[in-house]
Amino acid sequence: MPSKIFSYNRSLVMQNVRNVGWIGIVHLLLLFAAIPLRMLMIYTSQKNGYSPVIRNVFELSNAFQGLIAFTVPVLLAIFVFRYLQTKRSVDYMHSLPLRRETLFWQQMLFGVLLLVIPVIVTMLVAALLCQLPIENMHISAGDLVRWAMEMLLMELFAFSASVLVGMLTGISVLQGAFAYILFLFPAGISVLMLMNMRYMLSGFSADYYLSANLERIVPFIRFVELVDKPLAAFETVRYALATVVCCLLSLWLYKRRHSEAASQAIAFAALQPLFSFGVTFCFMLVGGLYFGETQRSIGWILFGYVAFSLVGFFIASAIIEKTWRIFHRWKEYAIFIVAIIVIGSFVRFDITGYEKRQPALSDIKRVYFGESVYQFERQAEENYISYVQSDQFLQTTQNIKNVYAFHRQLIEDRPTPFAFGENIRPVVIGYVLKNGEKMVRTYSIPIDEYKPFYEAIMESMEYKHNYYFLLQDNVSPIRQITIRTEAKTVQIADPKQIESFLAVLKTELKEEPFTEMISPIDEWGTIELLQSDGGQMQLSWKKSYARIDAWLKQQGLLSKARVTADDVAYAIVVKNEARTPLYDLVENPAFVKELETRTDVLRITDKRQLDECLQKASSYETKSRYIIAFYRTAHSEPEWHVMDEETLPSFIRKQLP
Amino acid sequence: MIDVRGVHKEFADVEAVKEVSLHVARGSIYGLLGSNGAGKTTLLKMLAGIYKQDRGDIFIGGEPVFENTNVKQKLLFLPDALYFFPQTTIRQMAQFYRDLYPSWSEERFTRLQEAFPLALDKKIHRMSKGMQRQAAFWLAFSVKPEVMILDEPLDGLDAVMRQKVKNLLVQEVAERQMTVIISSHNLREVEDLCDHIGILHQGEIVLEKEMDELKTDVHKIQVAFRGGIPSSFLTGLDAVYKEQRGSVLLCIVRGQKEKVEAYIHQFEPVIFDVLPLTLEEIFVYEMGGVGYAIENILV
Repeated sequence: MPSKIFSYNRSLVMQNVRNVGWIGIVHLLLLFAAIPLRMLMIYTSQKNGYSPVIRNVFELSNAFQGLIAFTVPVLLAIFVFRYLQTKRSVDYMHSLPLRRETLFWQQMLFGVLLLVIPVIVTMLVAALLCQLPIENMHISAGDLVRWAMEMLLMELFAFSASVLVGMLTGISVLQGAFAYILFLFPAGISVLMLMNMRYMLSGFSADYYLSANLERIVPFIRFVELVDKPLAAFETVRYALATVVCCLLSLWLYKRRHSEAASQAIAFAALQPLFSFGVTFCFMLVGGLYFGETQRSIGWILFGYVAFSLVGFFIASAIIEKTWRIFHRWKEYAIFIVAIIVIGSFVRFDITGYEKRQPALSDIKRVYFGESVYQFERQAEENYISYVQSDQFLQTTQNIKNVYAFHRQLIEDRPTPFAFGENIRPVVIGYVLKNGEKMVRTYSIPIDEYKPFYEAIMESMEYKHNYYFLLQDNVSPIRQITIRTEAKTVQIADPKQIESFLAVLKTELKEEPFTEMISPIDEWGTIELLQSDGGQMQLSWKKSYARIDAWLKQQGLLSKARVTADDVAYAIVVKNEARTPLYDLVENPAFVKELETRTDVLRITDKRQLDECLQKASSYETKSRYIIAFYRTAHSEPEWHVMDEETLPSFIRKQLP
Repeated sequence: MIDVRGVHKEFADVEAVKEVSLHVARGSIYGLLGSNGAGKTTLLKMLAGIYKQDRGDIFIGGEPVFENTNVKQKLLFLPDALYFFPQTTIRQMAQFYRDLYPSWSEERFTRLQEAFPLALDKKIHRMSKGMQRQAAFWLAFSVKPEVMILDEPLDGLDAVMRQKVKNLLVQEVAERQMTVIISSHNLREVEDLCDHIGILHQGEIVLEKEMDELKTDVHKIQVAFRGGIPSSFLTGLDAVYKEQRGSVLLCIVRGQKEKVEAYIHQFEPVIFDVLPLTLEEIFVYEMGGVGYAIENILV
């Protein structure tokens, strides 16, 4: 066969050189601009003291190279097989005594040469320039070869994929457009499907699948990453294999392609429904995602599905028919709707039992419990430790049972995926089974309704130990404690005092109820622990830590650490029936000014009452019914807080019902 | 030489060519006639191995043509819409054909320069439409193909060049037994060239005849009778067309000339003439028979 492939090359090659040769020249010039020229530029600007660190060829002009690698081959594929896309030329070429196979390999080979030669030439020129004394540039011969290989692999992949697309369409412009869509398609459709699955299946954990580095399968994103991450062996094989498959598939399609497919949007009649339904489906998913994320209601999602699928169907049909008057095709759209309703109900009514699936309790090795899925897979590669770890694995029998029971309840309740509000929190439940299998579910739920489940898990010693780094045994000794609030700072350096403080703090953490763990009333400030290894641990000093207050008082440090009743001259409590956000009220100077003279407010001067108010005032909630202003002796401006109705001191409730 | 058997081709939902069979003998010139959109170009492109038929077989010199290099080396297709590589000259194109067709004759190419007054090194794209067609013929004749498939080949040529090309074609057929299939919607253009005629209408061959036979089998007659036309007169005739002008009846009838004459003499006509019939008229009446608006066909 090879002899046949090459037997006619002279005349065709000459034609190709005349018609397409310029792309090779452009390719070479672009590569020259991206690499040797860049090296010269760095070389000459050394004198001005500018010398960036260059560890490999990609670092010279990463994005520019990416641009070259994903435009030149696409352009080349369009031009090399341009003859297929216009009626006159395809008729002419196919009337010549040349087999399609011959033509195909001729054109492919020519295209490949236009990619390979400029890359090799650039590599050689770059090798010469590497002899220049350029500071901070460390490019070895190996780097150059690696660059040439990876660059070529990417370019050949882009070329063969674009050729494949060219076989499927009969319009050059669409060939270009479809090529880029093809590059994005695997990642794009995955994201769309996963995100939409969330609306259909309760507990579906899209984030878990999305965290699997989906962007790595978008070739140009991968190209940009080549700076730091050379292609792994399996990636090289994957790209090479994809290139070969694209070539062979292109040839297979070419042999079956009708000459009259030129200037038709979709070259194979059999693919037209696939194309129009595919576009319709993708648009539908986009619409669902858009309205799902912005409106969070099933009604809007359905609207998005219908509206966008219609638009998608219209666009696809208009491309195929090359006119916008396609209303006669409504029957096909009806077929699509019926098919989608059938498939959608399969998913929605969960025939695979996805929603109800739960492993047998005895098979579970450990459970994962938290607010996000990210720690589920990454536990091992974690190199920084946070002092508060809400996502964690649990393995005591009791906790496995607790989490299991929680999940059971969630399966029964089937919480809506659209819930949102201040009280709604995500909960992620994962299982690692004894046989190594994994399973993960994500829900958004109102905390209050699941309090007992949270309590059982989060107040367990195992959870607390993982949650607060301080409670773990491997904490290096604490050398100094800094208690920091807005206005005051106290440092404790005496080892005995430190020990006693830590004992109180640890008790506080162990005894802390789960509500304080996830939504504390308020915090006074922070507690910084300086470790002997130089590390610093930071914890919040929550108002609920009564033992800490008592300890500080006993040590005579309380008034040095935070604002106390002694710092406050008086406070004014005012009712905010309209529930105007606090920050809006404070912005209004009239409100602030009138407050002191109003009669419908409560003025507090009693120290004990002030102390209680300080303890219960919060600044997290803003739309509360009670607002309190503390007028401190040393300050002219009051300090604003709100009072939560649940923890409202009784004397306030009595006087301002 | 060319053998087409039950060939069928559809585009999208349109049946362009329906179950067409035809046969062209070696050394003959076959005229494929038909109105616009009759399927001529589609059929010719299938013969040239450009389109693949949905059904049926096409043999040229006993071999199927599609993707068959052997056959295609002996075959040259000249489309109605010509194509040349962008920015090429005749000299470059000649080189291209020299590489592709083993039968290319350098001597013929040089000699034909006399017939086609074109500059060898001028870009073909800059030439006028007629000159481009001349260039195409020049290259085609230099290939010395065994089969030439010409789709509306004379469009854009002036009268002198038209005659020159026709002469060259006839000469090639006479000298080398080249087989030609030539399509046209213009009858007069090929009347003097073809020895066989096929009429394609809406994708079907409605008539396929040898030229001489065609002319002898259809007759235009005018007759008049004393006392009007006998009522049984027309029943015995295969009249394709009839028209009454006063007492004279003008009609076009099919059948052997002698038989028709004998039949008419039985009725003792006052006037009886057999008028000459052009190919164009035959065509019009044949097409009229299949319900086509006659006026639109003639050019």
